[in-house]
Amino acid sequence: MKFTRRQFNKAVIGGAGLAAMGPLGRAFADRNDQMNILCWEGYNSDEVLGPFRSAHSGATVRAESGTSDPDMINKLRAGEVNVWDLINVNQPWAKAQLYPEKLIKPLNKDRFLPYFDRMLPEFSGPYPLAFADDGELIGMPQRYGPFSFVVNTDKISREMAEDQGWKLFLDPNMKDRFGILTYDNWNIMHMCLTGDQNPFEPMDEAGLETFKGTAAAIFGGAKLLTDDLVAMNTALINGEIDAYFTGGTYTASPARYDGATNVRAITPNSGPVDGKGGVVWIELTSAVNNPDPSSLAEDFLEFVQDPDIAKAVSFAEGTYNPVSQMGDEAVFSKFDADELDAIQWDSLGEEMARSLDYQVISSYDALNELYNAAKRG
Amino acid sequence: MERHDRTMGLLSALPVLLVLLLSFAAPLLVVLAFSVMPPKVFDLAHMPDFSAYGVLLSQGYHRSLAWALGTALASTILLFLICWPLAYAMAKVFKRFTLVITVAVVITLFVSENIRLFGWVLTLMKGGLIEGHLRALTGMSFEGALYNVPIIIFGLVYVYFPFMLFPLVQGISMVPDDARQAASDLGASKWQVFWEIDLPLSAPGIVVGSLLSFVLAAGAMAESKLLGGQAVIVIADEIETAFTYGQNWPLGSALSIVLILIIGSLAVFGVSRVDLDSIMGRGR
Repeated sequence: MKFTRRQFNKAVIGGAGLAAMGPLGRAFADRNDQMNILCWEGYNSDEVLGPFRSAHSGATVRAESGTSDPDMINKLRAGEVNVWDLINVNQPWAKAQLYPEKLIKPLNKDRFLPYFDRMLPEFSGPYPLAFADDGELIGMPQRYGPFSFVVNTDKISREMAEDQGWKLFLDPNMKDRFGILTYDNWNIMHMCLTGDQNPFEPMDEAGLETFKGTAAAIFGGAKLLTDDLVAMNTALINGEIDAYFTGGTYTASPARYDGATNVRAITPNSGPVDGKGGVVWIELTSAVNNPDPSSLAEDFLEFVQDPDIAKAVSFAEGTYNPVSQMGDEAVFSKFDADELDAIQWDSLGEEMARSLDYQVISSYDALNELYNAAKRG
Repeated sequence: MERHDRTMGLLSALPVLLVLLLSFAAPLLVVLAFSVMPPKVFDLAHMPDFSAYGVLLSQGYHRSLAWALGTALASTILLFLICWPLAYAMAKVFKRFTLVITVAVVITLFVSENIRLFGWVLTLMKGGLIEGHLRALTGMSFEGALYNVPIIIFGLVYVYFPFMLFPLVQGISMVPDDARQAASDLGASKWQVFWEIDLPLSAPGIVVGSLLSFVLAAGAMAESKLLGGQAVIVIADEIETAFTYGQNWPLGSALSIVLILIIGSLAVFGVSRVDLDSIMGRGR
């Protein structure tokens, strides 16, 4: 084939034209017709996004669900602040990492503070951990749940598990009878509580040594490790194990809603921090500090406060969770008896009262090293 | 004129060539650069301090590396032993039935690896397909077969089966029947034919199949997570943990670089030992 000067010139001009279009195209784009949310599963479901898309026809609404908080945060750190408008993570990550690193920005208090009034009592204060240390509102709480451990109540009674608390997993009788759900940041916190330590206070050498012993004992007694809650529930229902370390309404609810109500999330009756031994997670949905922001981001945050949508978020595919908006009768009345039983509504209030707020683990780096070394065996 | 054509062609291909080269090399270079950064940083504007490699040595990561390479080696050897007779039959005996087997094996690839492995979990677990039926029919019961090292190797063999089988079939089909018959005529035993004719002449297929299965298995973690219940922690798992829960990108990068170096040198060594052009159909 001959390659003429004319063809060469055409190729060069074409290439240059395309290169010039890139930056130009950006300048003309209007981002108020776009909204991208990076979230835990649920906010990306059709039940939630469908009505929002109908209300904003012509807008492009995209959602992607992450598999862990740090996974999603890595995306923002890797430069995707330009892509996302909202991010939905557990509150310590928002407060300790996203806000100080300017990856998220404060919300409009005038617009969002009134919504706290209709939330459950735990949140209506308003919920203090939704605010940064400088007093700014950094996200809206919605889904939450006590998160400690899960047992099969046919094998271990609820009362016994609540009384024995975390020590259940150090009991020699439990060797090879429990699994570890490897949500690592949770396990680190829970192993501290098992060893009667406060995970939210800095730890000295002796403390680290205690933690090392607890981690070794728990990993040594475990029959299986997995980060898949379905695999873990399956093993629990089939009798491979009788309990699993780290779990809560979030992990037990899908099994319970399927009829396996012997799968029950447990919150210990007592523990080392202010007499409490359980921990509760609370998600915050925050506005990403996108240099080219979309006004639809705050519209969406307001939209998910609506009773129908709050219910859809609560019972989206995958896992089922209480929502802070259940303090509003209009939201609460949307739940039937089976749904309330799946999220253990009967004991939710008392479990919350026995739970600590999930906070930043002070000596996370040192504990994480010891934890992973113990996991390696 | 021809030289002029070639220069012009090269010049106009240059931008695309650069983009391709950059998109292949850039991610690896970024990983390499991150691996020498101080711990817990999220950009490259820091003085290199190589501390991640120190952590790697002091924190016992060699065990995870050894487990990953060990299970990969065991599964590769098993795969070779299992696939050889089948590949031989597909190349030399089955004729049209080969197509049926090929389609059957390829179809499994259409289903995601995690779903296939979860199918095995449901089959092998206590109260699963096997133990559950046995208990219902005979009253006998046994502990499930999951959550140990042999089951991880089984998972690797199952998942990477096609990656060994097809290169072996290709390799064996390159062995001329004449050579095998000549060897027999000259008094070689079946074993000698296998050792001195089949193996050396199908070496390119063996090397490609072994490399593919080994490299993929060394970087695999679904098998150890789903079937093995993380009875052992493999290096891919450690890399994921370092990048996510550890929020230590330099450590994750250093672990990745070590794995890339080990597997890369094995691949280069393996490929340099055989004539790959022959299996690609060139040079004949």
